[in-house]
Amino acid sequence: MIEKSKKTKNSRLFGFSKEEMLINLPRHSQCSPNLLFKVQNTSESILKNNGSQFARKINQMLHEIFRELERNRQFTRTNLNNRGVLYGKITLSHQNENELLKFFHDRFPNCFICLYNTFKNETITMNEQGRFQKFQVSLDEIVKKISLNRPITPYFEDISMNNEEIFQEFYSSQFIASRENRKYFKKMIPKYAMEMPGMKGGVENRFRNNLLDKYIKTTK
Amino acid sequence: MVSTLEKIRILGENGKYDICASTSSSRSESAPNLFGNTPNWIGSTISAGVCHSYAPDGRCVSLFKVLFTNKCIYDCKYCFNNVCKKRVSFTPEEYARTFMKLYSMNVLEGLFISSGICGDADETTKQMLEAVKLIRFKYNFRGYIHFKCLPGTSYYLLKEAVQLADRISVNLEAPTKEILEEIAEQKNYNTDIITRQRWLKEIRNKYNAKAKKIIYEKHDNQNSAEIEPQQNFSENYLSFECGTDRASQKINSEKGEWADEWGITRRRTGYKKIRWDGAPILNSGQTTQMVLGAGSETDYDILKRLDWEYREIDLRRGYFSAFTPIKGTPLERKKATPLEREHRLYQTDWLLRLYHVPIKEIKEILTMDENLPKGDPKLHLARNYFGDNGKIDPNKASYEELLRVPGIGLTSARRIIQLRQDNYIIKSRSQLHSIGVILKRADPFLRINGHIQTTIDAFKAIQVIQ
Ligand code: SF4
Repeated sequence: MIEKSKKTKNSRLFGFSKEEMLINLPRHSQCSPNLLFKVQNTSESILKNNGSQFARKINQMLHEIFRELERNRQFTRTNLNNRGVLYGKITLSHQNENELLKFFHDRFPNCFICLYNTFKNETITMNEQGRFQKFQVSLDEIVKKISLNRPITPYFEDISMNNEEIFQEFYSSQFIASRENRKYFKKMIPKYAMEMPGMKGGVENRFRNNLLDKYIKTTK
Repeated sequence: MVSTLEKIRILGENGKYDICASTSSSRSESAPNLFGNTPNWIGSTISAGVCHSYAPDGRCVSLFKVLFTNKCIYDCKYCFNNVCKKRVSFTPEEYARTFMKLYSMNVLEGLFISSGICGDADETTKQMLEAVKLIRFKYNFRGYIHFKCLPGTSYYLLKEAVQLADRISVNLEAPTKEILEEIAEQKNYNTDIITRQRWLKEIRNKYNAKAKKIIYEKHDNQNSAEIEPQQNFSENYLSFECGTDRASQKINSEKGEWADEWGITRRRTGYKKIRWDGAPILNSGQTTQMVLGAGSETDYDILKRLDWEYREIDLRRGYFSAFTPIKGTPLERKKATPLEREHRLYQTDWLLRLYHVPIKEIKEILTMDENLPKGDPKLHLARNYFGDNGKIDPNKASYEELLRVPGIGLTSARRIIQLRQDNYIIKSRSQLHSIGVILKRADPFLRINGHIQTTIDAFKAIQVIQ
């Protein structure tokens, strides 16, 4: 049985407990042994009270970890091939790889999952038994190699293929013009998407003279 | 022949006005036994849900909200059906496959299946159920499904739908029979809608009571043996691990709680004590939707109906859709309802449903024409409740009193009580701030450690200036 996320239900109501902090902090890319030592020697009530600067820093780091994980769960677009390999690209700077793979493994337990981390230039995989592996190879190569050893499954063949067109059609059909809310929409675009290499203010560099607003569908 | 892409475009445009976008269900642990025992399943549900993309109107797109067909024998005055030129339908296979394709792309969290009424309600419901069965048993999908019950659907079909879906909704469209007649004269409010809602409640309670009995017996006998896998899927609902804790259903008679004929604990108001009851069958319960402003209803009509639904139907929640005139329909000249009305009603609905503010208190803040006043309803209620000089000390106030203060929500009130139990005394505003209280709104109603921050009069003056 795959273990559940280390963020417990209570942390949503009462903030992170000290134990949760110590478990999760090492996943942050800027976490050091010194920092962990300091957390260990600070009382829980101080750590939970955002009034102190140190507590604020720790809580912010924890939120960064979980926010990044949540964003990747939301916005990772995957493809499924007819041999049951599910693959896609992710952007993870913290050590959330295992958690993210578990999320997809829970949803597609019969698929081999391959995710290419554009931030670290590596491919992470999880097989049907939940075994985690890391490769310094490109996504295409890994998918090709793994697919070779797997039989074609009619079940997957039925729902695989490139479905981007279907999604675009569906997505544009859902917009209600009278409810347009640009401010909220822009708020919901993940920050990392705005700051990705080659982007400026949410717009690709080559269109840098245009603002993002131009591309948001408008009723006027 | 119309292509699948074309169908998605047309039926997606017709289906987008259904507001419900919730995808949370706590059924995940019990799912494997509910929909057969195959190891080849896909998908899961999570209690908080995931939103996968956002439309430019700010709404999240997390459900496959595409009508099954837009052929409809009714002609509700506010509906696209009056002007729709192209009539198309999916086949169950096409619908199921398209949904699964999108799910495999991680762009959807679940399915919302709704439809126009083609021929008659039963005929269309059968087709919709066919699609859902394909999704559940051919593609072995274990994720979230919201099934829209069409007005006038038969009991035996509802029974089937209850076993397949996570959530079912019947749209009320209007708060009273008379108002529904104004906007959709062919629908019968009592027989087509309310009776269906009652049936759904009855079916859900019946199935879950049976299931609970088995679990309790199993627990009491301390029999750890596995329940035999069921062959017949209609019997499968009996084998699950229920999340409901018997102790949490205890009746607190001091608070006026009581148990109904199903053994469900209810509050003094008649609302269910535990809304998310962990039931394996139809885990996310029943919801409904009303159109705002197409008829002549007032806010009080709507709130009164919701209050009734929470007591009698065990509605999980209500949704509101502000009316937008569609060109070519009989109501095309009617003014669009401001989205602010929708927002105020949602705020008040939260006060009813989660803060348990009695409806008669809400009635006191309504305007002469029985609509909600401008501004946050919680602020109006707090002014009524605390009076001009009433202030409470967060170190002494009860949980219910804390909830009355604007800026203190369910979470922060719970945190304050928790801290008090740990003998922690709140001495300053910054401590309240760190707990999550929004001081700007809470200040006029609080006395912290004997100190007052501002008076309600001063606060009102600030509001006028703003
Ligand atoms: S029943 Fe009424 S609202 Fe529903 S599709 Fe038919 S005409 Fe439209």
